[in-house]
Amino acid sequence: MSFDTTGFRSLLRREILRFLRRPRNTFLPPFITNVLYFSVFGVILGERIDQIAGVPYILFILPGLVVLGAISNAFENTSFNIFHGRWNRYIEEVLTSPLSYRTMVGAYVLAAAIRGAIVGTLIALIGAFFTSVGVVRPLYLVVFGAVITVLFAGLGVVAGLWADDFDDLTMLNQFILRPLVFFGGVFYSLNELPGTVQQVSLLNPMIYMVNGVRYGFLGVSEVDPNASLAVLSGLAIAVVGLDIVLFRRGYGLSE
Amino acid sequence: MESAIEIRDLRKSYGDVQALDGVDLTVPEGSFFGLLGPNGAGKTTFINILVGLVRKTDGDARVFGYDVEDDYREVRDRIGLAPQEFNVDRFFPIHEVLEHKAGYHGIPRERARERTEEVLKRVGIYDKRDTRFDWLSGGMKRRFMLARALITEPDLLILDEPTAGVDVQLRHELWETIIDLNQRGTTILLTTHYIEEAERLCDEVAILDSGRVLDVASPEELMDRGTDDVVVQLREEPTAVPDFAALDDRVESVELDGTRLVVTARQGGLITPDIVTRLDEAGHEIVDLEIQRTSLEEVFVEMTRAGEGRATPEVSSP
Repeated sequence: MSFDTTGFRSLLRREILRFLRRPRNTFLPPFITNVLYFSVFGVILGERIDQIAGVPYILFILPGLVVLGAISNAFENTSFNIFHGRWNRYIEEVLTSPLSYRTMVGAYVLAAAIRGAIVGTLIALIGAFFTSVGVVRPLYLVVFGAVITVLFAGLGVVAGLWADDFDDLTMLNQFILRPLVFFGGVFYSLNELPGTVQQVSLLNPMIYMVNGVRYGFLGVSEVDPNASLAVLSGLAIAVVGLDIVLFRRGYGLSE
Repeated sequence: MESAIEIRDLRKSYGDVQALDGVDLTVPEGSFFGLLGPNGAGKTTFINILVGLVRKTDGDARVFGYDVEDDYREVRDRIGLAPQEFNVDRFFPIHEVLEHKAGYHGIPRERARERTEEVLKRVGIYDKRDTRFDWLSGGMKRRFMLARALITEPDLLILDEPTAGVDVQLRHELWETIIDLNQRGTTILLTTHYIEEAERLCDEVAILDSGRVLDVASPEELMDRGTDDVVVQLREEPTAVPDFAALDDRVESVELDGTRLVVTARQGGLITPDIVTRLDEAGHEIVDLEIQRTSLEEVFVEMTRAGEGRATPEVSSP
């Protein structure tokens, strides 16, 4: 059977409608959270902090907040939807269909990446109410945005297949994802860290994501953006490939 | 005739538990095939292997000639499944659930909408099309499960306990719909606890127990293997009765209680004329005669009762 375009579009549409029809769950929380971030960290505290990397503090933290919102939402979309589908067994509607495993993964990942991109854009627009936001390297911004949302949507698939309970998803989000983001250079510059800590920080993939998106917005980065892009793209391809293998093997899906 | 389902030495184990233990089965294309067995016999495991929800441990399973694992897309495109457990996406109104399902099978949106309207009307819940699944009544949920299985116009319709928990009227409506589909060429694989349902609908049934196929035959053939009671009411109490056992080896026992004579025999209907003739020749006047045919349910219980430690048969009448 050839590539099932109609099937792909049907599943993609379903997954997009699922978050578009729940704006209070999808868009309101990041809206409120980021208004608070920009108000407290950007305006109130930011006025007491000098420029970092040659830009005002509020502008410095903006790319990191965009990354935080985008990847959290991409991750949450696939992890929750796949786990919820397993929990209530309606994922069987997809699994018993003639969709190929590549198509299933592709639709789940793309829908989640789109949600991440929408939330990332929303956060950038919120930032624009507080400060003047420019995009110095638009192509880098778009490509980094696409790669990191696909990467975390792909990781969300793994989490959704692995989880046995809703607590497992909460644990991943609160105890792994969020600390990595907060220690990923969102709120501070790498140059302000002691040498050893700075070296350890480079093991955190969030550093490359935050700096890549920062390069897109501001044209400044503390790590080489091209190297970051290459590594992150490689990771995204590997993770999506892993998703397809897990679906094919029925990991978490079939007995 | 081509086989809709061809199974050879199919095995599935969960650790030490052997859910399917070398199943061999052929379901002819266009047939109405029943799969009967007590709880835990392996019926749902068998079905789930066909649609990919369970991976077989060993053996060969083909649907319309396609391997269920190597050619999974071709297999799943030909199957419509109405499972016993409700596994419906509760987020969307039911018409959208059907449109999505049609889309996964490559049916374009406009055609999917038309098909949705057709199947919802066919099962009688079109006026509920904008309702979510959770808000449907129990009977409507069962109707919807059938509608979802039909949305893709499958060549093989698998119905796992399709009438569980529905009232008599709805059961008969569902039967009519399924019979109509079968007459139009759709192969039906039915599992049911309602033995009368299999007796009435199926061309052939397989009795499955402890992961093995005990027998495959038409309901009539299976019932012939059970024993019927020929109950004869005589005018006067006889001093002796003819030796019916010597008359025919199908006779298993003869009981006389006053003027009531009960001859228990296989294929009781066929030997009744001989019983009447013998009684008449012996000068007994018959005032009433009744053949109490064995039911498929009794045969089923008898077959699945054999063997220690097996699951307890759970059968019920509609």
